[in-house]
Amino acid sequence: MNLLKITDLQTHFVFHDIDNYRREARALNKVNLNLNRGEILGIVGETGAGKSLTAQSICGLLRPPAKVVGGSVLFLGKELLSLAEEDLNDIRGAEIGMVVQNPKSSLDPLTRIGDQLVRIHQTHTASAVSVARSKAIAMMHAVGIPDPEKRFSAWPHELSGGMAQRVLIAMALMNEPKLLIADEPTTGLDVTVQAQILELLKDLVRRFEMGTIIITHDLGIVAHYCDKVAVMFAGEIVEYGTVTDIFRRPGHPYTKQLLASTPEKLKLNEAGSLGGQPPDLFNLPEGCLSQDRCSLASDQCRTPPPVITLETGQTVRCHFALQ
Amino acid sequence: MPPSVTHQFTWPRRTANRVRGLSRLSPTAAAGVVIIVCFGVLALFSEWFMTHDPVSSYPDRILQGPSFEHWFGTDGNGMDIFSRVIYGAKFGFGIAIPAVIIAVLIGIPVGLIAGYRGGALDEILMRIFDGLRVFPSIILALAVVAATGQSLLNVVLVLGFLDSPVFARLVRAEVLALRSSNFVESAIAAGNPTWRILFFHLLPNTIQGAMAQTAVRAAWAVRISATLAFLGIGIQAPTPEWGAMIRQGAEFMVTGQWWVAIFPGIALIFLVFGLNLLGDGIQDILDPRRRASK
Amino acid sequence: MVLPLLIGVVFVTFMLVRVGGLDPVGLLAGPTATAEEFTMIRKDLGLDQPLWKQFLIYGGQVIQGDLGESWLSNRPVLEDITTRSFISLELLFWGIGLGAAIGIPVGLRAAFKPNQRFDQVTRIISLLGFSIPTYWLGLVMLFVFFYLLGWAPPGMGRISLMVSPPEFVTGSYLIDGLIEANWEAAHSALTHLILPVLCLAIVSAAPIIKQTRAIALEVIASDTVRYARACGLKIKTLRAIVFRNSATPIITFVGTEITGLVGTMSLIEYVFAWGGLGQYGLNAIVRGDFTAVQGYVLTLALFSVLIFLIVDIVVAIIEPRSQLN
Repeated sequence: MNLLKITDLQTHFVFHDIDNYRREARALNKVNLNLNRGEILGIVGETGAGKSLTAQSICGLLRPPAKVVGGSVLFLGKELLSLAEEDLNDIRGAEIGMVVQNPKSSLDPLTRIGDQLVRIHQTHTASAVSVARSKAIAMMHAVGIPDPEKRFSAWPHELSGGMAQRVLIAMALMNEPKLLIADEPTTGLDVTVQAQILELLKDLVRRFEMGTIIITHDLGIVAHYCDKVAVMFAGEIVEYGTVTDIFRRPGHPYTKQLLASTPEKLKLNEAGSLGGQPPDLFNLPEGCLSQDRCSLASDQCRTPPPVITLETGQTVRCHFALQ
Repeated sequence: MPPSVTHQFTWPRRTANRVRGLSRLSPTAAAGVVIIVCFGVLALFSEWFMTHDPVSSYPDRILQGPSFEHWFGTDGNGMDIFSRVIYGAKFGFGIAIPAVIIAVLIGIPVGLIAGYRGGALDEILMRIFDGLRVFPSIILALAVVAATGQSLLNVVLVLGFLDSPVFARLVRAEVLALRSSNFVESAIAAGNPTWRILFFHLLPNTIQGAMAQTAVRAAWAVRISATLAFLGIGIQAPTPEWGAMIRQGAEFMVTGQWWVAIFPGIALIFLVFGLNLLGDGIQDILDPRRRASK
Repeated sequence: MVLPLLIGVVFVTFMLVRVGGLDPVGLLAGPTATAEEFTMIRKDLGLDQPLWKQFLIYGGQVIQGDLGESWLSNRPVLEDITTRSFISLELLFWGIGLGAAIGIPVGLRAAFKPNQRFDQVTRIISLLGFSIPTYWLGLVMLFVFFYLLGWAPPGMGRISLMVSPPEFVTGSYLIDGLIEANWEAAHSALTHLILPVLCLAIVSAAPIIKQTRAIALEVIASDTVRYARACGLKIKTLRAIVFRNSATPIITFVGTEITGLVGTMSLIEYVFAWGGLGQYGLNAIVRGDFTAVQGYVLTLALFSVLIFLIVDIVVAIIEPRSQLN
């Protein structure tokens, strides 16, 4: 059985603007993903492509006006989208661990980090505090925090960005999750620290056999640490397959554009780096969403492109995939 | 079809939609506007609504309770309270609107200049404003009005003056945020004189927050002017101002003639409430986080 | 940093009274004074000196604790003020205490379930609270509870005229009465306290509810709470997190509110003839007793500065992020 099977996930923004018009935007359009234990999937795309939204839609952490309007998210056979909040709460932080962006502002500033580690453990497991405490210290050790005994009583604001990120990872792992979702786990950290943390993640994933989703805008990370990759644009997955297949023979023009960039341009932070503004989700073009940027675009692209499966197993959402 | 023709008849529909949109966004603001407009109508067209002359007294009908003849009863001088309450609406607007205008006219330029220039001027101004904060606003207004002479004009001037720091502070904060932005820097580089930058570039982008405050400050102005009148400062009997009327009615509250002080109070409450609703509603529209919809 | 503020405060107080056309000499001298008497009084008050000299003299006097003499009561202003300050403090304490005790939980509850029935009703009620004139509320309460229902005593003073007040220990008739086991005095003090305290509580609760709700909503929308949800923490824990993270801004806000509420309290004292600092000050302003006004305004300002200091200290203690720790 798959660890995580997402089928046709559809998330929309719905609200009424100042002229009382109902505005609806397709934030996520028919997203399909599969993940098994021990696999690392990278979701890559520009800012605004919908990567974080995917993670939030899975865990029920969407903020209004965003809401899931269709599809299915099966986690170990359980349909997450129809679970009540209390049941989702039991899964979050335990079976599904999340590492979010902005570690320093996400940690509770009024609780010592050791206590926060214990807290997340005690929420999901009934055990003695001393047990939780030693586990916390062991986990801090495992994520590479020096001097864990002393750091146990540190306040979040006393930590550096890298340390805080490690604490978040430790917190996500406290309850031995089966699925780990890491949203931009290394943004804002300097290069050496990035490498350390990613190596650490890879090692822990192998050790605990977790299915992992790494969300990033950095193709380099995907290339070095992920097994599979999903390329997202404007809320859609335009290409999906193993890293080796896609990097060797990209099927979608957008992917080809990304990979054709020189190594320096592998980062997709600036929307303009790939030529163009981020798509306005409220005014999407008819048919293929990348037509404004694509060199191959033709009249045929005004109809929604089919999702074609190539012989290697990767899927491509393009009319011209087989060329 | 030429655009002018298609646009001609859509504006009523578009306005109606905009109104509906705004009301949906903030029913509080809409309710507030309704209340304020009602009072505005009363203030402007009081002659149509008053049943008697607000300042003539009927010595044979002192302290009569509400009746068919005198809807709100009569006060200690035999004057009809209903008409006086209606007339009092004029004071509500007549004081609050000029006071807020003065506060805006003083506060916004001061905030613009202080924020833009910075330096010693800014420091001093901010210290003064901070210093003023330690005094309760009511007492400050009271003391200054009492000291400067008790006329309507003085009340308006003092209230306007004392209210300007609020606007100055808001505008200044926005100016500070925008001062180093690209758009302002390029305007400077293009050689625009300072006054042009302040007026054309900074002003439109910084007054949003301040404007949202106008309704709230107007509410404060109405309240404080009534409080002053209640204490006998600024406006005195027999002027039909609500605060002064409450003052007159105070002694009768404990002897059972409740109508003298209650009705002007209710009118006061409603006007201030309407203004506060509007102010609250505007803040909701401007800051979606506060709405926190489900 | 506090020192320039204090000097500024003294300066403003000084100017406040001299800014207008009121002539204290004329008021003191009365209509039948001769020219010589005018000059004598003027000299006596020090008003013949240039303005800056007057300020220095006044500043010096303040530091030594000499606030002049009230021409109304003919007693030193300092003495009048000190006795009355404790009286007002009692009202302030109970009033704001009750207001915060009601306001903070209500604001928090409204923030946890935004835009539902409780929240909407609360918002309307708190806006109403903003709109009700305090003195009018006091009058209405007197009418309903004293005249109509006979439950409350007449709105005069802190204790019934027919009961002798207890020995001075804290200055609060209620507490002193209890200490002394003087049940009659304590009971009378209590009944006289209820209405003014209720008045102040209602008026102070409104802004507290509104601001608490806004603060809590911001905290709920913050990264911290979002992450806490992602950790699967229980609702009770989430509530505790929101509460603790809202505490500092709420305390800071209540501190600033106290400044404004002192003014409101003065109005309540006026209506209920409470005999405290507020009533004293308001009377002084209305009657042009300018030394008393100076003293009153100065005291209020100094009190505010003190409150700000206390708030800063409290926040520094509870916040691990402050320099102190």
